[in-house]
Amino acid sequence: MRRCNNFFQAYRYTEMSVLVLLSVLGVVLLYLGLFNNRGAVAGVGIAGLLAAFVLIASDWHLESPLFNGIIQFDTYARSFSLVMIVVTVLLFLFGIDYYAKVKENVAEQYALMVFSLVGGLLICSFTNLVVLFLGIEILSIPLYILAGGKRDSFRSGEAAFKYFLQGSFASAFLLMGLALIYGATASFDLAAVEAYSAVPANGQNMIFLLGLFLTIAGVAFKVAAVPFHFWSPDVYEGAPTLITAFMSTVVKTAAFAAFYRFIANLQLPGAVETMLVVMTICTLFLGNIVALRQTQFKRLMAYSSIAHTGFLLLAFLGTDARTPDVLFYYLGTYALATVGLFIVLTLAKRAALGDEHIRIFRGLFRSNPWIAVAALLMLLSLAGIPLTAGFVAKYRVFVLSLTNGYIWTTVLAVLMAVVGIYYYILVVREAFTPQEQETKPIVVAPLNWLVISICGAAVVVLGVMPGLLRM
Amino acid sequence: MIAALLLLIPFISALVLVIARPAQARPIALVSSLASLAVVLYAWISYTGGTVIHYDLDWVNDWGLRFKVGYDGVGLLMLILTGVVFPFIVATGYGQQHDRPATFNALLLFTQAFLYGVFLAQNALLFYINYELTLIPVFFILLYWGGENRRAITVRFFIYTLLGGLALLFGIVYLLVQNGGNGDFTALASLSIPASTQVWLFWALFLAFAIKLPIFPFHSWQPETYYMAPLQGTMVLGAVLLKMGLYGVYKLVFPIVPAGVEYWQTTVIVLALIGAVYGGVIAFRQSDLKRLVAFSSLSHVGVLCAGLFALNAYGVSGSFYQAFAHAILVLGMFYIVGAMQERMGTSDMSVMGGLKGQAPRLAALFLLVLINAIALPLTQSFVGEWLMFAGLWQVDGWLAFFALTTIVIGAIYMLYAYQRVMLGPDRTNVTLADASTRDHLYLVPLIAVTLILGVYPGPILELLDAPVQQLLSSLSVH
Repeated sequence: MRRCNNFFQAYRYTEMSVLVLLSVLGVVLLYLGLFNNRGAVAGVGIAGLLAAFVLIASDWHLESPLFNGIIQFDTYARSFSLVMIVVTVLLFLFGIDYYAKVKENVAEQYALMVFSLVGGLLICSFTNLVVLFLGIEILSIPLYILAGGKRDSFRSGEAAFKYFLQGSFASAFLLMGLALIYGATASFDLAAVEAYSAVPANGQNMIFLLGLFLTIAGVAFKVAAVPFHFWSPDVYEGAPTLITAFMSTVVKTAAFAAFYRFIANLQLPGAVETMLVVMTICTLFLGNIVALRQTQFKRLMAYSSIAHTGFLLLAFLGTDARTPDVLFYYLGTYALATVGLFIVLTLAKRAALGDEHIRIFRGLFRSNPWIAVAALLMLLSLAGIPLTAGFVAKYRVFVLSLTNGYIWTTVLAVLMAVVGIYYYILVVREAFTPQEQETKPIVVAPLNWLVISICGAAVVVLGVMPGLLRM
Repeated sequence: MIAALLLLIPFISALVLVIARPAQARPIALVSSLASLAVVLYAWISYTGGTVIHYDLDWVNDWGLRFKVGYDGVGLLMLILTGVVFPFIVATGYGQQHDRPATFNALLLFTQAFLYGVFLAQNALLFYINYELTLIPVFFILLYWGGENRRAITVRFFIYTLLGGLALLFGIVYLLVQNGGNGDFTALASLSIPASTQVWLFWALFLAFAIKLPIFPFHSWQPETYYMAPLQGTMVLGAVLLKMGLYGVYKLVFPIVPAGVEYWQTTVIVLALIGAVYGGVIAFRQSDLKRLVAFSSLSHVGVLCAGLFALNAYGVSGSFYQAFAHAILVLGMFYIVGAMQERMGTSDMSVMGGLKGQAPRLAALFLLVLINAIALPLTQSFVGEWLMFAGLWQVDGWLAFFALTTIVIGAIYMLYAYQRVMLGPDRTNVTLADASTRDHLYLVPLIAVTLILGVYPGPILELLDAPVQQLLSSLSVH
């Protein structure tokens, strides 16, 4: 009996079992690819993800440092991991239809997404800066391949190449930054770096300052904050839509979780805080203003993703006990709305023979009223209209930033929220304007219908009862 | 119970309408709006004064979200207004040919539910949520059933209104943060904010209402939107939606930033009166009846806002009294516009003239509606306008003078319009149907309300008296 208990005790290190489970899952998916059984691949993938979900959720609030304390699966890490897994499940469900016509290499795509997810789990649970770097690389390298997933598409290849080049550049920044931080603090341990930063005089240390700058720049690249955003519109547009959805939800969530985990308890020197504020202002401004000019839906979503990065960064400014919860809520609800919209886009794009202009949504309400209403709810959520989750998310960000005294930055954010409403509402207008000429009808497979409905319902339910999504 | 019924009757009916057959749409909507009217009237009868709180429930407390609903006298008047107006708006639909009538009426009822929410809310954030939500059904009404150029105009209207809305959200969040997350109106009113902060916070809170009303120079969305909107949409906008602006000022601006109000009082009154005179002059130049009524509404609203900002018992009571009168007037005027469009196929006055010969009853009804617009004694508007002028007179004689000129201008353009439509030689080649039973059923109750409340304004002024006195005494303390 005692031995038995010990046995289970060992497996209470769920984060390890989750990491192992997911890595093995990826390998299994690769092998399943050999048999070319597409249904089984998605099915096994989803089953594995759900198992990981259960493993993480079952040991809620258990904080166990692992591997000599370089990873800690605390509530923070668990919550973000759960969001990422749920969103990946939704994307896999969408993948069944998305990859139905693809001849080869389907299993590899699923496997790479799972590998990328493992990196995501690592970077939201790191307590050692080396793990941060490793995690980001594990997260990114599969994405370089996935972005080029359409091998015969010129744009997809371009996206992959651009992403790879700029991504490696950012990795170099990050690595240099971490090295400098190590040079100043003589430790990769996050707690030690935090302790170092707490001494006011150390804020003047140029090596430490430069290290922080470069590290933040490296992470800011992953969340597509201005001026490190140049890759995102091209990559979003060129990558296969499923992968774009994966990047703008799972990857973004992971990167933000890592970003905040890194700076949460650091005493940021004044210069670094100024850098964050400037970055926030630029991101809010540029993301929203440039999105105004977009007529291609995928590019629009890319800039809107940058704009949302701005709102999320706004929550970072100043320290507040509520920040992690706000980030969690914002990222979770943003991911749900985004996934649903990308599915609607794929279906509309298919009917419009590859066109991505927002006019492909025209007449959606006439032909598929329910899909149009769900898309409406998701767009309103992204725009931040009350009773959708997006409103609560923005509202809580504003509460945070005003509590921390950033009045003028908040004023800018409010103005940019109006701009944001404008470009989302243009898409709504298309969907609810009757189509003049006959077009190919939009076909919605039952599974896609289900995922879209889940996403549409979720943003309303979470908007009406925001207490449901709590860390 | 009353609050729950008011919120749920329209909301559930709207959900039912989504799956209803087109032929059933209007009867269901009409029954629903009459049922909620009955509830409102019951609330009026059973009201004994003070602030009634029906529910005070946790929603997400630590984020400042509380479901606190109830009403005081002014809130009740607004609820009555909403209850009275909607059966008429729904009934207007019987003369209209709509694509998808079920969806259309569902959207109308959703608007009504959220309007009740606005007037019932006793928590700033709850108020805001409902305030913004009224915009969504109206957006679709305008976008799907609007007239020419609706796509551009609707988006402009939407963005313009939301610009104000988000400024309001900013103001509310600022207040919540100052107040430790408690957003109840009573709690916010007892907050003491430095005068220098109030000066800018005033605009954060007031901008939304200035746009919603709209007052000069925030009015540029209004005439085009009113003109383009389907008839019932225009009625919703003119009769009730803009009243949210007045109510919002009363509930959210006056008690919370009194020093800011004092600072900007004259500016706002002057802007409002500029808009009033400007709207009147432009209305005179219109050759289209619907545009004319839209600009006349702009003119009336300017005076409403000026009266409210007179900040004395006459001005504030008069403004709310007139708000009710204006709602009745908007319904009547736009119904006439619709009746003309139905008969002539256009609302262009240049092709009309001498219609009185063919349609004497319609002409008489038009005249009876119109005397309310020009605030003739014994009509409801006379009471309201008189009170507002008295209020403005206490502030400054010149302001009262300019407000009075709008009445003269109003009389000119309204009577001139009547002359062009009804009097003179018959210039039309069509045979015209006189007022039908439906027209009588619709307009006679409106005219009756106008005349009764014009002679006996007591019941409504009684509602307003206590809360307005309370507001003014709390302002004089600051």
